[in-house]
Amino acid sequence: MSGTIFWNDTPIPFRSGESVANALLRAGISQFGIAATGQPRALFCGIGLCQSCLIIADGSLTEACLLPAQDGLRLSAEIGDSHV
Amino acid sequence: MSNASVIVVGGGPAGLSAATELARAGFSVLVIDQAQALGGAVHRQPMPGIKSVASAAQKKRWDRVIADMTTQHDRITISLSTQFCGLDHTGAVLLAGARNQLVRPRALVLALGARESVQPRTGWTHVGVETVGSLQTRLKTLGQAPKGRILLAGSGPLLLALGAELTKLGNPPVAIIEAGRPFSHPLTALRLPVSYWVEACQYLARLRLAGVQLLNGSHLTSISTETGHLRADVDTPQGPRQFTVDHIGLHDGIRPNDIGLPDCAALPVIRVGDCNEALGARAAIADGRAGGATLAAQLLGRPVPAPAADIKRQRVAQARLAEIYSHEGAARLHDLPGDTVICRCEARTLDDLRALGASPTPRQLRLDGRFAMGPCQGRFCADWVNQLANSKTQQTGIGAPRWPASPIAVADLLAASDTIEGDVL
Repeated sequence: MSGTIFWNDTPIPFRSGESVANALLRAGISQFGIAATGQPRALFCGIGLCQSCLIIADGSLTEACLLPAQDGLRLSAEIGDSHV
Repeated sequence: MSNASVIVVGGGPAGLSAATELARAGFSVLVIDQAQALGGAVHRQPMPGIKSVASAAQKKRWDRVIADMTTQHDRITISLSTQFCGLDHTGAVLLAGARNQLVRPRALVLALGARESVQPRTGWTHVGVETVGSLQTRLKTLGQAPKGRILLAGSGPLLLALGAELTKLGNPPVAIIEAGRPFSHPLTALRLPVSYWVEACQYLARLRLAGVQLLNGSHLTSISTETGHLRADVDTPQGPRQFTVDHIGLHDGIRPNDIGLPDCAALPVIRVGDCNEALGARAAIADGRAGGATLAAQLLGRPVPAPAADIKRQRVAQARLAEIYSHEGAARLHDLPGDTVICRCEARTLDDLRALGASPTPRQLRLDGRFAMGPCQGRFCADWVNQLANSKTQQTGIGAPRWPASPIAVADLLAASDTIEGDVL
């Protein structure tokens, strides 16, 4: 199974078993917006500990590195644009 | 035979070995893992249809863990994409994700593995800078190396392991910057177990063949951005060097992933594997088995088995490895520019820390400094803040255990199905 997730309305393909962060990175999106501190949001620890890669997924703030990509999932940055 | 259930958090070698022993003793066991596949970090499995990059030794070790577990499959349930959020004073465990439940098990086994230690450096918050473990997890899952030039820096054998894996997948790192001088301790190195030697020789042979620069006794001091790339400034014994790359992997050793995990009077809680003591994947299986068997004996009121000899052997080996890689790099913390971010969550800097005075109390560090108060709860800053603040409060100060284990959405609390007593399966 594979499918499409949406980053700020841009379709991003993913493969079965892939996290949202991996799908975004493979599509060349490495910054996931900006945190409230002004620091960039991006993958750092990759295992859900550091909370650096938080994004909005279907309305709630969650770790992009843990979230399984699912067909039709709509994602956006907490603050700021995607810097595609 | 008991019908009572035990929850095991973490589907790596330690967690699955503990689950196997508990099931063997007659308990039904629920294993949860936040990832989409079993394996943990070291044995992270590739996505369906992707070829594994694991070495023959790693594959053999993992196959053995799975084969053992399969003998007890009747009593073991696995729930993936499920997060452990925490445990309240009554012994109720909150799970979120694929299995959003509030459950009340007979006992809880924490097998959360290790967290990476990463020393703050100028510019370590730039996009494209991540931990070596993060790069490795992605590589193992996708079966491919990231595109672009990669630089690995910090200290420890994981730098060589990832470097060799990147090389195997066709994108060797530009260089590996190692703070220690691992080749300057031949006598200690000789006393490492043979399996350590075999692994190191394989890595080094592959890296040398690909012409990867191995700079020992060297420190990545500063990262800046330069027309869409990352520029790394490195201090080497021969003088300063610069590298322009696309990815930087940082790693300064591993620590038990034990932050935010206080004990609970209402429920037996044990820790196994790296989460208990960071001894690596070899010790994780032995520690998981021993922990599972001991817990089962305690719950059944039987004599507790003797400690495993394997663990002692690995403890000695890890201590030797630490000696081989020892260095004075942490002293560089004090010389960082004042605007260097120490707490990544709230962008608190070295100047913010210094503004708290010469020896701030843990309360000042948290309340006024806001160190270890962000969502990571000090997992990445507490060690360094304690060093910089000359704080002797490692136990009671910042980074002390406190629930929740990870941020909880109110929606997860509301959606959690009712507490289930006894049998959770």
